[in-house]
Amino acid sequence: MTPFEIGLISLAFMCVAVMLGLFVPIALMVSSYLGVWAIKGSPLLASKLLALAANDAISSYFFGVIPLFVLMGFIVSEAGFGRDAFDVANAMFRRLRGGLGVSTVGANAIFAAITGISIASAAIFTKIAVPQMIRHGYSSRFAVGVVAGSSVLGMMIPPSLLLILFGILAEQSIGDLFLAGVGPGLLLAVFFAVGIVSMAVWAPGFVGHPDTGDEGQLAPAQFFAKGAPIAVLIFVVLGGIYAGVFTPVEAGAMGAIGALFLGFVMRRLTFARLWNVLVETGLVTATVCFLIIAAQMYSRMLALSGVPAGLGGLAANADLGLWGVMLIYVAILVFLGMILDSSSIMLIMVPLMLPVIIPMQVDLIWFGIVTVLAVEIGLLTPPFGISVYVIKATLDDPDISLADIFRGAAPFALIMLAVLALVLIFPSIATGLIPGH
Amino acid sequence: MPQNKTHPQRDPFPLRVLDSATQGLNVLGSALILMLMVLVGIDVAGRNLFGKPVSGVPEIVTLSIVAIVFLQIPQALRAGRMTQSDAFLNWLNRASPAAGKALATLFDLAGIAVVWVIVRTTWPIFTRAWDRSEFIGALGDFTAPVWPVKLILIIGGAMLILQFAARIWRRFFI
Repeated sequence: MTPFEIGLISLAFMCVAVMLGLFVPIALMVSSYLGVWAIKGSPLLASKLLALAANDAISSYFFGVIPLFVLMGFIVSEAGFGRDAFDVANAMFRRLRGGLGVSTVGANAIFAAITGISIASAAIFTKIAVPQMIRHGYSSRFAVGVVAGSSVLGMMIPPSLLLILFGILAEQSIGDLFLAGVGPGLLLAVFFAVGIVSMAVWAPGFVGHPDTGDEGQLAPAQFFAKGAPIAVLIFVVLGGIYAGVFTPVEAGAMGAIGALFLGFVMRRLTFARLWNVLVETGLVTATVCFLIIAAQMYSRMLALSGVPAGLGGLAANADLGLWGVMLIYVAILVFLGMILDSSSIMLIMVPLMLPVIIPMQVDLIWFGIVTVLAVEIGLLTPPFGISVYVIKATLDDPDISLADIFRGAAPFALIMLAVLALVLIFPSIATGLIPGH
Repeated sequence: MPQNKTHPQRDPFPLRVLDSATQGLNVLGSALILMLMVLVGIDVAGRNLFGKPVSGVPEIVTLSIVAIVFLQIPQALRAGRMTQSDAFLNWLNRASPAAGKALATLFDLAGIAVVWVIVRTTWPIFTRAWDRSEFIGALGDFTAPVWPVKLILIIGGAMLILQFAARIWRRFFI
């Protein structure tokens, strides 16, 4: 067998094992080990490749971004800044038709600027926004759909764990990726908001019959008290990165310190809760980094087998053109999003695709944004959209079924698809903000 | 992991010891994350306020990130947080519990095997780092020995293997 064939077989083996339920990092490690063994004919070389990756793959200053941004995300969640974001957004949008829905989108957009994990947003706003919307006459299906849809903003609007991961995989500047996420993220938020208002006007059967809320008005002082801490955090983290004062690692640390400081000063954090946050941060960091280590083994094995280069050759020969390749890629990502979590998909697909894409002179920042958008659509689609499962678990209400949540989220998945198409057609939506692009 | 709910009071003694040790590593890892945050914070303050960076911070971050991961990953497995697409296993467990148990056990054994390969191959890397006193950093400025991280990788890997084995134990005997 040629290395290329061995590479393809181990790839297929890995996919089947993952679908059957083998832990994703273990599946990647096993298929890398067997693949290298078969290609090089030496189990010793295969063991060395695994051990070296385990020792070195994440041994770099740069990987400090992961625990620090995850820590910051959990601190702001625990300190109740999600609630503040919702109150501020509600005060701004409450007069609109479908105002509470728009407020949820706005709150998610604001909250997304201080946290980088979609799942956290989905859990928080399920608790805050869903009961409030149902109380004000929205259909429960629509209420959960809004939360599911807008939770994806967490991964688009910087800081974002997925963009950090892409930066690591493709060796692109995290700062540039963060900037590139702003345009599509805001576009998505605006489209969601427009979609909600239009559905409230033209599809009341789906939305329900919201009363015109006079609740939620904030006096200017209150508005400031709730908005200012969040504004400070956004300013420190994103401002710090773009002004060149902080590296992304330092921005993560300063964001976490700032959130911790505000949390204690505002008497919202206790040491016991801080400890929970730290344990949770550790578990998420370990899971994500362990996946990264496994993905490094797998991409080193792939490189030995020549599969990515071979696929690149195939794509070039098949004369698919950039559009053909991108459409197939996006379709695969959306499909995988139905069965796997976002980080696994990126870690599996990006090393495979980079050698195909790079000869086509593609802007890798734009490619990263497209990747994240496509992966996130899968979070909302059946049968295994993860955001939807998080909402179901957080909701703990037998009256709202998984099918309800999927149906509620469907319009938002379609809107995401539209935004993805726009970003594909007009790359400058993503790259326009980056100086020198 | 729906198939092994936590019943600490019913777990036999060795499993309780294992879980406590795993949690101990977890606590160390969490403390390390906090230290990382403080250290980077001090570095930023030192550079911007006093015009003098703290030497060694990048090196310490580099070493501790690997330590954090291997200190926490056994607990991540124990807490059912290791990434997995469990739809098929859940279905199989309903359709044929025996087949579900067998497949899950096969998967745990795969985990044991591959982590063993990593631990076994890291051992010589550790002894070499120890014998030659390998370090990172620049002499005269800041240096840190490399062996503690290698040792943590071996300990964390070993605990991960034991946690995989504990899953099999719980599945069949508890």
